[in-house]
Amino acid sequence: MPQLFHRRSNTLVRMGLVLAVLVAVATGVALDRLQRAPWVTRQGEQPAQPVSFSHRHHVQGMGVQCQYCHVSVEKSSYAGIPSTRICMNCHLQMWPNAAQLEPVRQSWMSGKSIPWVRVNDLPDFVSFDHSVHVNKGVGCVTCHGQVDQMNATSAQYSLQMEWCLDCHRNPAKNLRPASEVYNMAWRGPSESRPVWCAVGDEMSGMPTAESVNCTVSDPLARAVLNATLTTPSSMNGGRVLVAVPTYEKFTSQDELGRFLVNHYKIRNTQDLMSCEVCHR
Amino acid sequence: MSKPRRKCWRSIDELENTAGFQSEIGREFPLEADEELDPVSRRGFLKVMGASMAMAGMAGCTRQPADPTYPYVKAPEELIPGKPMYFATAHPLPTGAVPLLVKSDQFRPIKIDGNPEHPYNLGSSDVFSQGSLLDLYDPDRSQHVLYRGEKREWNEFAIGYRDKVLATGDGTGVYFLSSTITSPTLARQWREVEKALPKARLVQYDPAIAGTALEYGSSIQYDLSQADVIVSLDADFLSGAAYPGHHKLAREFAALRKQPEKGMNRLYSIESTPTTTGLKADHRLGLRASEVPAFAAALAKEVGVAGVNPAAYAWSDEQKKFAAAVARDLKAHAGRSAVMPGLYQDPLVAALAFAINVALGNAGKTVFLPPLPPKINYPPSPLVPLSSDQLAGITGLIADLNAGKVNWLIVINANPVYDAPADLNFTEAIKKAKTVVHLGSHVDETAQRAHWHIPAAHYLESWSDARAYDGTVSIVQPLIEPLYGGKTAHQFFQALLEQPGLSPYDAVRETWRETLSKKGDFEKNWRKVLHDGWIEGTAFDKTTKAGAGTPVAAIPTPTPKDSFEIIFRPDPCVYDGRYANNGWLQELPKPVTNLSWDNAALMSGATLTKLGLAEQDIVEIAVGNGRVKAPVLVAPGHPDNSVTVHLGYGRRVGRVASGAGFNAYAIRNSRGMFHTTGSVRKVEGKWGLAVTKSHYVDHRAQASSGNSNHSLEADEALGARGIVRAATLAEFKSNPDFAHEGEGRGTPAADASLFPDWNSSQGNAWGMSIDMNYCTGCNACVVGCYAENNIPVVGKQQVKLGRNMQWIRVDTYFEGNLIAPRAHFQPMLCQHCETAPCEQVCPVGATVHSPEGLNTMTYNRCVGARYCSINCPYKVRRFNYLLYSDYETESLKLLRNPDVTVRSRGVMEKCSYCVQRIQQAKIAADKENRPIADGEIETACQQACPSKAIVFGNLNDKTSRVAKQRMDKRSYGVLANLNTRPRTTYVAEVMNPNAEIEAGTKGLGTRDRVSGEQEINGG
Repeated sequence: MPQLFHRRSNTLVRMGLVLAVLVAVATGVALDRLQRAPWVTRQGEQPAQPVSFSHRHHVQGMGVQCQYCHVSVEKSSYAGIPSTRICMNCHLQMWPNAAQLEPVRQSWMSGKSIPWVRVNDLPDFVSFDHSVHVNKGVGCVTCHGQVDQMNATSAQYSLQMEWCLDCHRNPAKNLRPASEVYNMAWRGPSESRPVWCAVGDEMSGMPTAESVNCTVSDPLARAVLNATLTTPSSMNGGRVLVAVPTYEKFTSQDELGRFLVNHYKIRNTQDLMSCEVCHR
Repeated sequence: MSKPRRKCWRSIDELENTAGFQSEIGREFPLEADEELDPVSRRGFLKVMGASMAMAGMAGCTRQPADPTYPYVKAPEELIPGKPMYFATAHPLPTGAVPLLVKSDQFRPIKIDGNPEHPYNLGSSDVFSQGSLLDLYDPDRSQHVLYRGEKREWNEFAIGYRDKVLATGDGTGVYFLSSTITSPTLARQWREVEKALPKARLVQYDPAIAGTALEYGSSIQYDLSQADVIVSLDADFLSGAAYPGHHKLAREFAALRKQPEKGMNRLYSIESTPTTTGLKADHRLGLRASEVPAFAAALAKEVGVAGVNPAAYAWSDEQKKFAAAVARDLKAHAGRSAVMPGLYQDPLVAALAFAINVALGNAGKTVFLPPLPPKINYPPSPLVPLSSDQLAGITGLIADLNAGKVNWLIVINANPVYDAPADLNFTEAIKKAKTVVHLGSHVDETAQRAHWHIPAAHYLESWSDARAYDGTVSIVQPLIEPLYGGKTAHQFFQALLEQPGLSPYDAVRETWRETLSKKGDFEKNWRKVLHDGWIEGTAFDKTTKAGAGTPVAAIPTPTPKDSFEIIFRPDPCVYDGRYANNGWLQELPKPVTNLSWDNAALMSGATLTKLGLAEQDIVEIAVGNGRVKAPVLVAPGHPDNSVTVHLGYGRRVGRVASGAGFNAYAIRNSRGMFHTTGSVRKVEGKWGLAVTKSHYVDHRAQASSGNSNHSLEADEALGARGIVRAATLAEFKSNPDFAHEGEGRGTPAADASLFPDWNSSQGNAWGMSIDMNYCTGCNACVVGCYAENNIPVVGKQQVKLGRNMQWIRVDTYFEGNLIAPRAHFQPMLCQHCETAPCEQVCPVGATVHSPEGLNTMTYNRCVGARYCSINCPYKVRRFNYLLYSDYETESLKLLRNPDVTVRSRGVMEKCSYCVQRIQQAKIAADKENRPIADGEIETACQQACPSKAIVFGNLNDKTSRVAKQRMDKRSYGVLANLNTRPRTTYVAEVMNPNAEIEAGTKGLGTRDRVSGEQEINGG
């Protein structure tokens, strides 16, 4: 029986096999990249909104605080999209006739909601609670980016599970004093910009967010300053003894983070990584 | 072996060891568990799926949809989005309103529970109240005013209605036919209508109330917390809210069984149809319905009630002995006992029971009569403020209809075409009315024959008021605007009065203005009443006129023993048919039979054999001229020559209701509303019932037990496996450690597992303890779980395949024979094993352990391998074989609990210990820097339970109730010898049989059982 295939076909088959493996690997890699791609996650996308609302203008320009509109962020799982009334609180007086605000006025007159497009959207099988994050020192910026610089709002991060877990594995690297949660320009402590924190009353029942006082100016210097302003300066040869709570000085985010994890009573990594924390 | 084995069984097939049962336990998987329903073959399916699987990798890349979000235009001030609010209201039932506290998420009611502060039910509820939530969102509810089937506006009706009815001058020819009026305000409005139109007639008719003592609103009050001996004369007070006072009575009954070492109560149940009350009783006597009055009389005589001389009757020796023993026990506990008459029994039974209570001096101690309903004096008014003879009422109405006297027939929340007594032929009579108006939640059988149909508002949409069993007035407060512009009965009456536009809200306020103005400012008190849910000081005074109720009429002779008795009872799940379109309640397995989606002709095994029938055969039941075809099912403990049919099925409207069961009203006549005689004849065909109890049969029975004719769990339930552990009080006293005695029951040592030890003493360790002495098998927990956890309804076909999705089930283990069974109720749910067998086999890590000891289920990770379910020894995992959750129906979207994922097809699910509640409590506590208090987290099943059988909490907190209950000597883990280390444990049952009865008959004891088959033949 003659040979059906030429000798060369051996090489072809070998090449084919190698190629098949390569294609399989390449497909895998491509799919893996694809599912993290902004096309899928909508990261950075600026969807058209019914009103061209600018966070930059309102936050940076006007200095409106986050909670003025996102009313329930400290109390509830849901931060809250502002009702039309909140817009109209100001816009009844300011720019009452601006063409840009027509959809808002329409909504106000007709009683129909403004159909905002969600920018930071989680899948339905994820339970996320804003209040616990805000109360435990996770800043708005940490997840939403510097909204104060966004004209059209976009998602800064992918909000994918690996991104959530990255922080749940080590929350210390993202924590800040609860008083700085809404601070859009907060930078973690460094040698040149240290942070001083003092532990207050850590009673049971006292909100953890109130258990720590932090400041970016040297509390001792400030105390001395305050004291010099209020007491005769001649006492003790210029040295003033004031009851200052014991402030600890932090020069790195790591140290501060660990300190806050402790005092905000943040659960351990094992707890934070457990499935039922987000999936119920 | 020193101790003979006691045997348990779970289905008749098992007891009889039929061929069908043999083949079932021989199978590795339940029948058709691995087969698709549609005709696509397995091979074809794989071919199609092959292509889909290739695409499955892409599925992970689904783009997040660009969802719009709709904020409020003007947000309500009190609302914090994402935070639920709670409002007090009440579920009006003719047996007494159930005070509720309803959870509202952004003004959608999403969970109903009892009002925890109400003295009557202390937070517990029942299947009807839990299920009524789904009724609100029922997509089949009527949504439009209809005139001869065409859409109209309410105003078109309202104006004509008022003008034309008032034009009659005195109301001649105007008839109202209403379900039992329980609202004091509605009663007041009616009395005002009566004043304005003196000839207008009101007829009340409720098929489950007509002919009972309740139509007079007289509800005897019991205080079972003081009763050591309870005798139920066909009184089914443990199985549901169909019995007045169920919530309170079940709680008090259970409380006296908490610590058997300090003594416990004893329940004797004499009943004509098996119920959970009888199966829970320490002694049960099955009697034909017509024998119960005679037995009550015999009992009265034994106790020594003067003036009772029952005619001689051929009681069997056993029955005589039972009566004598009960009488002796009652006399020994004079003043600390209670005899309870059945609601559906002859009124004579109630009279006799009360006479016995008076003779024993129970009256005023454990049994009270509320003051007799004053004729016209409102408020206060009794449970049913407008008492009437309902049967006479509807008979009179039909006579007037046939005589052509009826110009206006206004049917209010009633469905007489469906449920009026068959012999009165309402369907024909209604045609003679000139104008028929129907107010109802559905376009039902009556609405189809009415000229006008007005959609009725659900009670969660309307203002009203009602009294709970103990008399306290609850305000029915709406939680949502009527979804379909529904109207209430208040508006119908008010429309005929001077201020036709007065809203129900104002009418209710008017009724209580005087009462609430007595102490302080009305508005302030009114707000407090709305907040609390009830008006303080409105409970019935416990007054008892000794001797009241003693006159005893002639005792009817029981029907001959060979005649066939037909017993009618409202269904334990759909009641009189009002919940028939409710999927949760239809799918709920009925207590005793575990039948879902159907009713059946229930009979004893002996009767079945005598008639040459097999289960699921079809019989024709004939009563008078009525005929109905019904499937046959054996109910353990059913008296012979007697058939029980449940009402409420055989509906012809509603997507859920129609097609389920048969209409027992077709054979229910006005002369025998709750029992009568009739005949039963076999006809061709098989019905195909969905009975759930055989689903969980374990195939390993044959291999492991060596005794092949029983399922694993039942065969060894009382034996080596010790799934159900029970003892009599005497046994318990001599051996308090009985629950841990015997072979194979020891828990393996802590180091006997290769898996990590979860028994950390740090932090929270969630656990549950269920006291089997408390569980009465009422199913409230199952329906509560439906609502809390977005559990889908699967339908009859799927239930038959064993695919029902309930996360918690109440396993009923029968003991003894078919004639005199006793049952142990065991709620079975995920045990949250510390070394969970399911976790070890999951190929994708979709079910894993949380640090706090929860066995968690991550739906989005599950690929549907089902290995976990196969490896679960408790059979508590449920798989979404098809897309069971309804993603489409708009009204059902409002129903969902937003904190729980709605599961899709191909996903495994199971009890999560209500993890969403745990997480919320943890977040709240974490923010406030405090530990979670004991009792702060209640699971949905725990909350619903009327007898408080379920305790949940932190095992590491040694002062928590659950930790303490686990320290009890009777506490044990089911199948703990497998080293699963379950976090759910059970407290073994202790029963309190009377030694006198026990000694002669073969009661519960340690004797070996003869095989079931012999005893069936013997019976």
